[in-house]
Amino acid sequence: MFGEGLIKGLTITWKSLIGKKITVLYPDEIYSLPDRFHGKFRFDKDACISCGMCVRACPNKVITLETEKVAKKKRILKYEMDIKYCLFCGLCVESCPKDALGYEKDFEMCQYKWEKLPMVFVDEEPLPAEEKERLEEEAKKAAEAKKAAQEAAKAKAAEDASQGKEG
Amino acid sequence: MENLFTNLAGSLRAALESTGLPAILTDTSMTMVKLTAILVFILLNALWLVYMERKVAGYIQFRPGPNRVGPKGLLQTTADIGKLMSKEVVIPKQADKVLFLLAPALVFAPPLMVFAVVPFGENMAAIDMNIGLFYFLAVASLSTVIFWMAGWSSNNKYSLLGGMRVVAQMVSYELPLVLSILGVVMITGTLNISEIVRSQQGIWFIFAQPLAFLIFFIAGVAECNRAPFDLAEGESELVAGPFTEYSGMGFAMFFLAEYASALVISFMCAILFLGGWLAPFGMTFIPGWIWMFLKVYLVMFLIMWIRWTYPRIRVDQLMGFGWKVLVPLSLANIFVTGLVMKIFKMLGW
Repeated sequence: MFGEGLIKGLTITWKSLIGKKITVLYPDEIYSLPDRFHGKFRFDKDACISCGMCVRACPNKVITLETEKVAKKKRILKYEMDIKYCLFCGLCVESCPKDALGYEKDFEMCQYKWEKLPMVFVDEEPLPAEEKERLEEEAKKAAEAKKAAQEAAKAKAAEDASQGKEG
Repeated sequence: MENLFTNLAGSLRAALESTGLPAILTDTSMTMVKLTAILVFILLNALWLVYMERKVAGYIQFRPGPNRVGPKGLLQTTADIGKLMSKEVVIPKQADKVLFLLAPALVFAPPLMVFAVVPFGENMAAIDMNIGLFYFLAVASLSTVIFWMAGWSSNNKYSLLGGMRVVAQMVSYELPLVLSILGVVMITGTLNISEIVRSQQGIWFIFAQPLAFLIFFIAGVAECNRAPFDLAEGESELVAGPFTEYSGMGFAMFFLAEYASALVISFMCAILFLGGWLAPFGMTFIPGWIWMFLKVYLVMFLIMWIRWTYPRIRVDQLMGFGWKVLVPLSLANIFVTGLVMKIFKMLGW
């Protein structure tokens, strides 16, 4: 019949007119995100060993990592991601040997102010000189004590061994 | 309820007469009041129709449509118009400044002038002219000139092409539009719009003249440049046709005028073929002007439904369809109508 296609088209649009709407009204409701959703970055300060692998892996030089060395231990002063240059390739997360970096189920990273764009995970002052000295002293003492204890243990073991021989 | 508006007008006239004004002043001020009421009616409807169109479009595309500004998004168009009003009207350097600014100011005139003879209900026409239908046809085609003005004065190739398309399209579709009404006029023997509605007491003309209704509807949709006949502003080819260079309120005027002319076509469909204010199935407990409104919105919804279903047709298809299909069909309709009327007369009905 002539005009059959026109009627068919109209029925299709009528069905969608009264059909269920599929739009998710975003700010009011959010999709349930999958478990491995690649969103905002998560940083675990305690797990980080400041190896700097992530800094080296980043193709856009987004990550800044500043550390200081206190008593032979690296302490993180600053861990910052300049997210406006980040391309979310995830190479930093892949390169992390301690799983200190990861993803969160959150993608709302918009900011009203330019200065707020970089994501600051750690921002600490370097330790004051006295504190540093004290810690180093403590570490030294602890190391010495450990050494002494070790030597004592060694000596004792040697003594035990000689006694055993004699006995 | 039935005579709510006529009573209102009557009491207003009585109040004016009691102040001792001369008769001519009373008449003039009554006409002014009626025309202002029509203007407000058109503007409110245009605002509502933009919202309705976006809702219908959204629903057809599985979307909810505008739903942020105001309750259910009802204030969306108001916000849009507010934004457009606050924007600058950019005038191109090479444009014909007078024509360029005159076109959006005049574009509302033809629909408004047509509404002067449209009966919104029984005895609710602002001016009950006895050549109302003829007046409608004459004035409605005036908008061609305004679109052409806009297209020409912009001094832009897309505007010019769009303007030329409007003229070509409107001239070709004016013919089937007029010829399709002729059947109705032959049956009723009058050009008075109210009389035409009254003569549909027995049978609506959509059943007596189904082909004429179809031709009138198609030609009407083409006449107000709505999809699938919106070649004039086909955005994939001509940016926005004659409106390309318009910004701010100038653009908004064209935008609202499109809905005003679509409203005119819906009113004419309802009046000529759907029985105007006459209630179907004897449901007279609902006032006539509400029936009128319901019918108009039914046609309006049909126009929107069609817009969001069919793709735009090509220029040559448009012209071919107009001249090779619609015009011969409407001529045949006139012939058959005349023949049947003659036979009925011979049979003595």
